[in-house]
Amino acid sequence: MPVVHQFSLAVQNTAYFTALRESALVYPIILASHLATIAIFGGLILMTDLRLLGLAMTKIPASQVIARTRPFKHAGLLIMVTLGIHLGGSKLADYYDNPYFWMKLSLLLLVFVHAMVFRRGVYRNPAAVDAADGPPRIAKVAACLSLALWIGILSCGRWIAYYDRPEGQQARANQIGRQR
Amino acid sequence: MLQFQYDPATNPLNNNDWSFPLFECIHIAMFAMSVGTIAIVDFRLLGLLFRKQTPAEVLKATSLWTLVGLIVVITSGMVIFTTDPLSYYYNWSFRYKMIALVVAIVFNYTIHRRVAMSNCTTAVNAMVAGVSLLLWISIVFAGIFYAFVEELPYAGGPPV
Repeated sequence: MPVVHQFSLAVQNTAYFTALRESALVYPIILASHLATIAIFGGLILMTDLRLLGLAMTKIPASQVIARTRPFKHAGLLIMVTLGIHLGGSKLADYYDNPYFWMKLSLLLLVFVHAMVFRRGVYRNPAAVDAADGPPRIAKVAACLSLALWIGILSCGRWIAYYDRPEGQQARANQIGRQR
Repeated sequence: MLQFQYDPATNPLNNNDWSFPLFECIHIAMFAMSVGTIAIVDFRLLGLLFRKQTPAEVLKATSLWTLVGLIVVITSGMVIFTTDPLSYYYNWSFRYKMIALVVAIVFNYTIHRRVAMSNCTTAVNAMVAGVSLLLWISIVFAGIFYAFVEELPYAGGPPV
């Protein structure tokens, strides 16, 4: 795919992304911020899912857990995606044919589908999730799918760094974790 | 000096493609759980989240998950450490991380817990929440930075 390759190269070779990639400080700071966002806002997603499954924070009504954490999750997603675009853009020529990169993007797309599908039945339905005998089955299905999606996104994100092109050319140094 | 023979090359994590990243994923998911639940308490202390509940209620609702997260994140971290102990040990970012981790855990189960369980002033709540968030975020940062900093010089010459 020479066109895609050239496009990816052009993106990562823009002055902005080049400066970012070559900075000894800015690139690790963006990467660390990406991870810190996972820590703080990813934790909110995890706890909401565990709440819908009836496992955590059961003394706080599920509808409140959903509604109160929503603005935080939106802000977190915005920060996370912004940082992710910077990480991806600055090394796009390394990533464009990386299957884990595309799996991660596809799963992120499915997160939006998930939100749409369960919006009426679960996430905007306080009466249903606050039912006396715990959240209904559909809420638990939503929670399990959400957990699976986010664990998948996290794992793909990590595995991007370990993918080697079949030809074995182009050593990708400088990514988080030691290459082995 | 107590010494024992250990060759990281014999570590299973260094001998296949999948186990090292797998433990990294577990590590990341579990720091999301531990730091994430602590951050929920911090946001409550800052008056930003779950204002209908008291900080004590939020702490009680999350503390089990914080503990589970901490246990698994530390265990998986130890496993990752065994893949290359010396290069971690001679890395200032790793050393900062270990010290800050001990400080953060002690802080979390003493001052942080105590303030969350009692009715402190807004200023005290905010200060404790701020310290907590900064500490934990700095630990995540240190975890990333040790892939980017130079190793410290080996004190007694390079180990054999």
